[in-house]
Amino acid sequence: MKKQEYWTYLVLSLPVILLSIFLVYPVVSVIIQGLISETGTSFVDTLSAYRTQFTIAFTFIQATLSTVLALLVGLPGAMLLARLRFRGKSLVRALIIVPFVLPPIVVVVGFLQMFGSYGVIDSALMLLTQSSTSIMNLADGLVGIILAHTFYNAPLVMLLVSASMERLNPEIEESAEVLGADSFSRFRRITLPHIRPALAASAILTFLFCFMSFPIVLAFGNGVYRTIEVQIWNSFRWSDFGEASSLVLIQIIITITLAVSYIKLAKVSDNDSGPTTTIRTTTLDKYKNWEKSMILAYLVMILVLIGGPIVSIFRAAFFDPITHSYTLDGFSYLITAGATGGLNPLINSLFYGGLATLLSILIGIPLAYAHKSKSRGLPSLSSVMVLLPLGISSITVAYGLMTVIAVPTGLNINPWPIIVIAQTIIGLPFTARSIEIGLKSIDPAILDQADSLGASRLQRLIYVELPLLIPSILVGAVFAFAMAIGEMSATLFIALPQNYTLAVAIYDNLGVRRFVEAGASALILVAICVVAFLTMEKISEGSTGGTL
Amino acid sequence: MTEYPVRRNPKTIIIVTTIIVILIVASYGFLTFWKPRFVVYTYSSFMDWGDEGAEAVLERAFAPFEEKYGIDIDFVILQADANFIVSRLNAEAANPIADVVIGIDNILILQEAARNVLEPYESPNLAWINETLVNALDPEHYLTPFDFGLVTLIYSMNTINSTTHPQLDHLTLADLATSELASALVTEDPHLSSPGLAFLLSQIAIYDKILGENWTDWWEAVEGNIDIEEGWTEAWSAWSSDQTKHLLVSYGTDPAYSAHYLGTEPDTAIAPFYYQDSHWAWMQVEGVGLVKNGPNPELGKAFIDYCLNVTVQSEIPLNQWMFPVRTDLTLPSVFDYAIHPNEVSILNTLLNSTEIAAKLQEWLDEFDTVMTPG
Repeated sequence: MKKQEYWTYLVLSLPVILLSIFLVYPVVSVIIQGLISETGTSFVDTLSAYRTQFTIAFTFIQATLSTVLALLVGLPGAMLLARLRFRGKSLVRALIIVPFVLPPIVVVVGFLQMFGSYGVIDSALMLLTQSSTSIMNLADGLVGIILAHTFYNAPLVMLLVSASMERLNPEIEESAEVLGADSFSRFRRITLPHIRPALAASAILTFLFCFMSFPIVLAFGNGVYRTIEVQIWNSFRWSDFGEASSLVLIQIIITITLAVSYIKLAKVSDNDSGPTTTIRTTTLDKYKNWEKSMILAYLVMILVLIGGPIVSIFRAAFFDPITHSYTLDGFSYLITAGATGGLNPLINSLFYGGLATLLSILIGIPLAYAHKSKSRGLPSLSSVMVLLPLGISSITVAYGLMTVIAVPTGLNINPWPIIVIAQTIIGLPFTARSIEIGLKSIDPAILDQADSLGASRLQRLIYVELPLLIPSILVGAVFAFAMAIGEMSATLFIALPQNYTLAVAIYDNLGVRRFVEAGASALILVAICVVAFLTMEKISEGSTGGTL
Repeated sequence: MTEYPVRRNPKTIIIVTTIIVILIVASYGFLTFWKPRFVVYTYSSFMDWGDEGAEAVLERAFAPFEEKYGIDIDFVILQADANFIVSRLNAEAANPIADVVIGIDNILILQEAARNVLEPYESPNLAWINETLVNALDPEHYLTPFDFGLVTLIYSMNTINSTTHPQLDHLTLADLATSELASALVTEDPHLSSPGLAFLLSQIAIYDKILGENWTDWWEAVEGNIDIEEGWTEAWSAWSSDQTKHLLVSYGTDPAYSAHYLGTEPDTAIAPFYYQDSHWAWMQVEGVGLVKNGPNPELGKAFIDYCLNVTVQSEIPLNQWMFPVRTDLTLPSVFDYAIHPNEVSILNTLLNSTEIAAKLQEWLDEFDTVMTPG
């Protein structure tokens, strides 16, 4: 018995050990080396520079504005998604997540084509006013940054909040109705308190994602507006390791504070009603006319803001803006092997993403068990560990992995294992969280039965727990896969050209103005993610939102 | 629950999955296994602006070298610019895999970080090139000149010309500061783009050395009007797609490029700065350098020597749209449309490299302070 406990402890602490080696150690050593080696700007000089202060302030302001807007846009959608019964709901749900898994570089392209100068909206306005010059460019500056962040995160709010709303017990609402509460007070007194933890969690996650935003701010910020992440990247490019380390340190302190408050909120929401209750649903024709028109207006806005950039990507896959003609060159690029073709990046993407997903499941399972563990310190340690990847700049992780893992071991000549490690780290928060939620919903009586029938710990795990966990594992796996396949900045830093993934190839093609190739690659990424989500929705029956 | 799920034995599934995964990983690892090669780091658009594309050009230019030494050159074309390559070389400094790096220019080499990862080498073939280029790039021979070009302003003749805007013939920074031209000007972020940095240094040279004024005043005047894009490609896109953007910070060979592709007269013209009865432009010299502690130092030196051969140098004009460093080559006829170094005064001569090395970071910080709102 004693031996078994020892093994359990070892298995449970394995993910923490692995994360310490491949995440904490590289990042800490980058920070320390940067701070003590005195190359570049010192910590005090960095902090006292006006530019740094402006960057930090801007990072906060844009993240706050983006979060507010994402909540405002996402909340009605979440309510509709939870309440309305309609055909193709699972398809809509799968499509909603698409923005969230798109590589940011693809979003930039979609946004420019939709909202930029001479984009779809601008052209329509020009036609209306008979103007020959551009009237409105929304894909630029602060407005562009915030709109793009809303595009990314409103779907997140929709999924998280609708998942929480669906678990609202219909009896409570019915009692309220019987007691004469109107729809507004029902929302204020019943729905809102019920979804408050989910709202807060999605707000913190959105804030965190916007806080760490990189390619969008780089593209729309015109060098004037920068997030801390953009400035870290800039410092690394200028080999100003002192400034880079100082900024990474500041960033981590802020994101860990956010992560801790997220964990606290998640603990509160654990006391939620179980997954068994389902909200009362309704159909569209039960609504009053003015409500219908409000819903219609909202849908049009969603279609423009979220559908528009995605449709622009579809168009970009076939339409060559240089020759103004439709072509299939983009797709023939994707099946061309060799240095100039897109086949190698496609294979790399699938291989790295697949392997990273598998690893993040293998590490995610013990990590989720560690959350439940009664050993002292392990649950909170693993909670922090699992959120760290969301709060540490991926460029720093990549630089750290390069200097302390790849270079000393000679892996930098063929660095694909390092890319897989980096992508695993990025996907891990999603698998661990999903499996953790799955674990909670296992009926303890079943486990007691297995024990009393004489199953060993391993037998119980393989024959009882894992089969029950399969839906949550799949949900987490799909998120992890989507994150891995869309990841660009860390991969770009580590990879040699033979390791480039499809996301990097998109960036590459855009750089040399091969738009159809970039568009077709982006379309393939979208298609892979949608298929993965549809499969998962089928298997897990719509519990996607609880993952995050 | 009406249907009870059939229990499959997870053991078989786990074992089969494990075997498949191991097979896939092993075969991927085997197929991509590193074979010792001679590695050249360079940036993404290197020799890629011609009709044939980089692959064909590099093959033609370097096949004789590969044959002579019985090796394969691996051009590692990093999707990044030279700054990023220096950063990567720093990360790999303990165990470099590259032998040679192409693309570090005369400003980047002034940085400690770039010199730290290079080994000085004085090629015997330097005799073939003009000494001023060697000195303009790096008198200490951390780098050997590979190509060079002039950074200047260009404009699209379809949208403006010197009849509508006579000041284009004798352009000054004061002209550019008017709200009309400032809002028509596209440049690149000096932090992220070498022509962008060249433009900032040009402006500083003119204000500080010719006019004797405070250079930040000009940026204050154009702030809010000028369009600063991330890199050259983004700037080019903005300039070519937006009818209101007339002027672009780019290279003096752009009219030649335009003529080559149109097959007619170019639709792009150059507007170099005009001060003290002379036109001025910034000279960018790109070099090839030996990576410190690289795996094949002797081959690396031979490669640098080979880069100055006619076989390589003659590919530069039409594929890189820069000038070859060898002076004995006949340039293609479209280069008549380009601005040549002997037709302008070189702004670099006003700012010596010691001054740039000492003040660059300070200038960039000041630039940030001016351009940061608030």
